[in-house]
Amino acid sequence: MKVALSWLKRHLDLSGISDDLADLLTFAGIEVEGISEMPALGSTVIAAKVVSAEPVPKTDHLNLCKVDIGDADYPAKDENNLIQVICGAPNCHAGMMAILALPGTELKEYQIKKAKIRGIESHGMLCSERELGVSEYHGGIIELSEDIPIGVLADELFDFPDTVYDLEITPNRSDLLGYVGICRDLSAKLSRSLMPRKPVSFNVSDAELKLGLHNEARDLCPRYTARIIKGVKIGASPLWLKLALIKSGIRPINNVVDITNYVMLETGHPLHAFDYDKLSPKDDAQGYPDIVVRNAEDNEEFIALDGKIYHLDGSELVIADGKRISALAGVMGSQYSGISEQTVNIVLESAAFHAGTIRRCSYRHKLSTDSSYRFERDLSASFADRISDRATDLIIELAGGTVCGELYDSYPKQETDLILGVRPQRFELLIGYTLPGDKIRDILENLGFSFIQYGDFVPGPIQDIDQIYCHHAEEMKQGITEFSELEDCQHAHYYRVPAFRKDIVREVDMLEELARLAGYDQVPRRVELQHIMDRHAYRVERKATDWLVDWGSYETLNYSFCDPAQMIQLGYQEEDLDFVRLINPQSSNQSVMRISLIPQLLTNMVYNLNHAERDIKLFEMAKTYHPHKKGHIEKKRLSAIFTGKISDDYWQDGGKKIDFFWMKGCFTGLLSVLGISFSSVDCDAPYLIPGESFSYVSEGHLLGSFGRLRPDVLEAWGVDTGSLKQDVWILDFNLEPIIELCRNTSLVYQDIPRLPSVTRDLSFLLAERYGYAEIQQAILALDPDLINGVEVFDEYRSKQIPEGFRSLSLHVILQDQEKTLTDERVDRLMDSVQKTLASKYDITMR
Amino acid sequence: MQEQLENLVSEAKEEIARASEPNDILNLKARYLGKKSLLNSLYTKMKDLSKEERPAFGNQLNQIRKQFEDMLTLRSTQIKEQSWQKSRGDMDASMPGYPLSRGSYHPLSIIRRQIDDVFLSMGFEIAEGNDIEDEFHNFDALNTPPDHPSRNLADTFYVEGGDLLRTQTSTVQIRVMENYKPPIRIISPGRCYRNDKPDPSHSPVFHQVEALVVDKNINMSHLQDTLQNFASIMFGEGVKSRIRPHFFPFTEPSAEMDISCVSCRGTGCRICKHSGWLEMGGAGMVDPAVFNTLGIDSEVYTGFAFGLGIERIAMLKYRIPDMRILFENDLRMLRQFRGEL
Ligand SMILES: [Zn+2]
Repeated sequence: MKVALSWLKRHLDLSGISDDLADLLTFAGIEVEGISEMPALGSTVIAAKVVSAEPVPKTDHLNLCKVDIGDADYPAKDENNLIQVICGAPNCHAGMMAILALPGTELKEYQIKKAKIRGIESHGMLCSERELGVSEYHGGIIELSEDIPIGVLADELFDFPDTVYDLEITPNRSDLLGYVGICRDLSAKLSRSLMPRKPVSFNVSDAELKLGLHNEARDLCPRYTARIIKGVKIGASPLWLKLALIKSGIRPINNVVDITNYVMLETGHPLHAFDYDKLSPKDDAQGYPDIVVRNAEDNEEFIALDGKIYHLDGSELVIADGKRISALAGVMGSQYSGISEQTVNIVLESAAFHAGTIRRCSYRHKLSTDSSYRFERDLSASFADRISDRATDLIIELAGGTVCGELYDSYPKQETDLILGVRPQRFELLIGYTLPGDKIRDILENLGFSFIQYGDFVPGPIQDIDQIYCHHAEEMKQGITEFSELEDCQHAHYYRVPAFRKDIVREVDMLEELARLAGYDQVPRRVELQHIMDRHAYRVERKATDWLVDWGSYETLNYSFCDPAQMIQLGYQEEDLDFVRLINPQSSNQSVMRISLIPQLLTNMVYNLNHAERDIKLFEMAKTYHPHKKGHIEKKRLSAIFTGKISDDYWQDGGKKIDFFWMKGCFTGLLSVLGISFSSVDCDAPYLIPGESFSYVSEGHLLGSFGRLRPDVLEAWGVDTGSLKQDVWILDFNLEPIIELCRNTSLVYQDIPRLPSVTRDLSFLLAERYGYAEIQQAILALDPDLINGVEVFDEYRSKQIPEGFRSLSLHVILQDQEKTLTDERVDRLMDSVQKTLASKYDITMR
Repeated sequence: MQEQLENLVSEAKEEIARASEPNDILNLKARYLGKKSLLNSLYTKMKDLSKEERPAFGNQLNQIRKQFEDMLTLRSTQIKEQSWQKSRGDMDASMPGYPLSRGSYHPLSIIRRQIDDVFLSMGFEIAEGNDIEDEFHNFDALNTPPDHPSRNLADTFYVEGGDLLRTQTSTVQIRVMENYKPPIRIISPGRCYRNDKPDPSHSPVFHQVEALVVDKNINMSHLQDTLQNFASIMFGEGVKSRIRPHFFPFTEPSAEMDISCVSCRGTGCRICKHSGWLEMGGAGMVDPAVFNTLGIDSEVYTGFAFGLGIERIAMLKYRIPDMRILFENDLRMLRQFRGEL
């Protein structure tokens, strides 16, 4: 539903907030689906008179116009204030008042310049509605009424600048289908009162013309009013009325039809006008026509005002005269009974219809109109008469005529207003903060609710308000309205719900209105989570221990204190060691807080070796304790000791022994799955064998090390290495930098390549002085876009291979994101890989 | 003609039974059902019969056709199945499967993870603190009198410089309350230390988890529910919890928390010393004095706290008879926990 800011302003003072109106609407619960700005056009777009319009020779549609621009400032105008303009619009004619955009004007889609068209100078453009940005209509140029003075600015005529909001009205809010309803919500939001409406001022004459009104479908038509207006003069509407329709996306037709549409836009309640003289009586002898509200008959025919024929199935509600259908109720009028230029007497319909029936009819016949859109949303019957009055007043004012007699009104079952109680304490309970009683009253009264009294709360609609006990009753009887204990009054507030708010039937519905209009931004946030916990660190710790368990390792727990002598046995120098020392240790070998987890893991391994275990994988995740300037610091570590076979003995394979590369995979694998990039450096742990150990670093942090334990350290722990005959491996992770390095990494999904990758193999002899890692890097660096991966799949040394060389076999994986790789392209690339390797690393291809 | 048909059927039966390869089936299909088959030629001879004989003969031919098709399909399936069996070779399916290569967590870690999960699901956060603490956070802030025996060297480990090894993880609660405003809802698991010689029920290093909730409108009923949830999630549906009066310096009222015996389900046994109940730890409402020390308005906020020993839970749950077993790290013990969730 489109509403223009300029029209909202006629019902509510929006000064100071026009720019934020979209936000205001959104936070009142009215969704803004689109905003179209109509900027001010300035002094070069004016009303001008087309003095003459001559067809341009050899063209079929161009006119050479002389246009009177009056006092407007333009250098090329002649002494009679005329300028020359070429216009191609079909409705361009001499004598018309039009809108002229002079050269220099910036319109939405056009920049107006002095131009030569077919060799003829043209100074500007006569504008259509679309060119002016006021609507999408492009069927001709705007024709203004003749009484508009030459030179008036278009901005003044069209209320520019203006903004049109396209609003999405939720199905429960039938009260928001017009300007007044929108403004009513805004008024409650802003605590500003709606502007008073113009009182109705028409006079009623004698009932010269009569009508027979027969409501034969009272269930589907709760109210039907009809009013006869005699002697109207059908013609074009004034500009303001046309504009009101145009800006809301409705084409102006004639004054009477435009007024019905305008009142619909204003009130949200559709109206319809019939040509009185086209309506027939049931019985010709009656002398005046009938209007019958009834169900359609099965297979009855209806010719709509657009000339289309509809075959009805009997479920539709129709408005008929004595002979045939004059309108599909609430959806569309008929062709024969519509208002035409010849119409003199009219019947003005203002009614309420059953929403479901209108919805089904609209759906079944694929007929969606501004009228059906509103009737589908269950409009109140209470206002049909007042809305008729408003339209009547405008018709008399703009089309003349006189009202014939009183309103015909079939209103079999009067709608009664609901009375509901609302408790301020309940607001606090549900919404979470206190809304003062006077604020509640302010919001609800601006919404059209009327306050009745205080009293004990009774849920649901109140039948008899006098039965509600109110401790203020006595004061109220005396006419006192300022209650002493209002502030802490625990009573419910009782309100009469306005008839147009059919969606408000319970206390909670009113609480929603209050929360919505007081602003959801007023709802405080109740803190439940303090973010005390470092969830990331917690997850990394779990993942790291999961990793080791998945690699077959068992978790141990050891005391936090240890024997300082064991650190010496690991190979550390006493002067390099710094411990937190206990004052009252239980024994000298538990006299310090541990600075490494490895001595106890060694002890655990030896314990298990002594219990006939051979394949041992143990780890511990715990803290180490270090003296520090400010007392002590505690660091999380994850350390492991592995020896023996990879998996348990198995009858199919003899059980592969843990070796350097298995350990490397275990260490680097965890860093890789955590998404940490790292590089290796020589390890300086004194208990590991150089050349069979690595440390890993990333961004200057030491992440940890792994490697083979020195046999002499094992012997210090009492192991006879001569009889053990198996290597012992150590893993040691520094958890804190690992946790920090992956803290803010986030996984981003990569599109799966649509094209297949190509794998080529490469086998060559390589001198021992070169490492695999540099070969891999060299290949990847050749074409990082195309070479997706390099994997080694074989390495061997044998007598057939010259001394000092080894054979390496690699997969080179190629992938192009854009196009399928041709053999030729792959060959060329592999060729350059070989050449590079041959020149840099002296390889021999095999 | 009838004889001819019978011969055809018996011949086909034999031939199809003899087929041993997928190719044989294809050949037989051509021979008995193909365009040049005898059966097909018989269809053309129908026109020589009288009108009365034709339907019966036609029916008979159709039945034979169907019979051939069924026989061929069946044989084809049999041949396929035989070929799978051949490719399988000799296999003793009763030989053991590939061994589990997964290790396991320490039982105390398993219990700790279970406790974490219980409380995380109840909206608690996990807070960890340092093992080495000062006297204020370990004793003073918890309302422990200056001359209380627990402060002795015989009970508490001290390190050089005057700090100590925390005797309970309540220290973390104090630090959280110093740094965060309520609402607070935490558990603090971690290592604690007391100067006890290792024996079946003591260890100088042990593990605790404490819970603390501070908010408006927190009362003992919340404590009751949290303890009951903990008992039934950790030990199983049907395990009940109860609290009974006790004394702790930092709670008022204080309580001792019991659960119904997990071994005898409350009827009385050796484990519960025939009481039907097992002692789980201390609990209570946070003493206003503790709040006041930390600048939390004890008129506005209330809270509850409780502490549990992880070793005790593990020993009860897995019927581990001696606490020292938990620190031996014997693979024969650890291996038993491979499958524990
Ligand atoms: Zn028991």
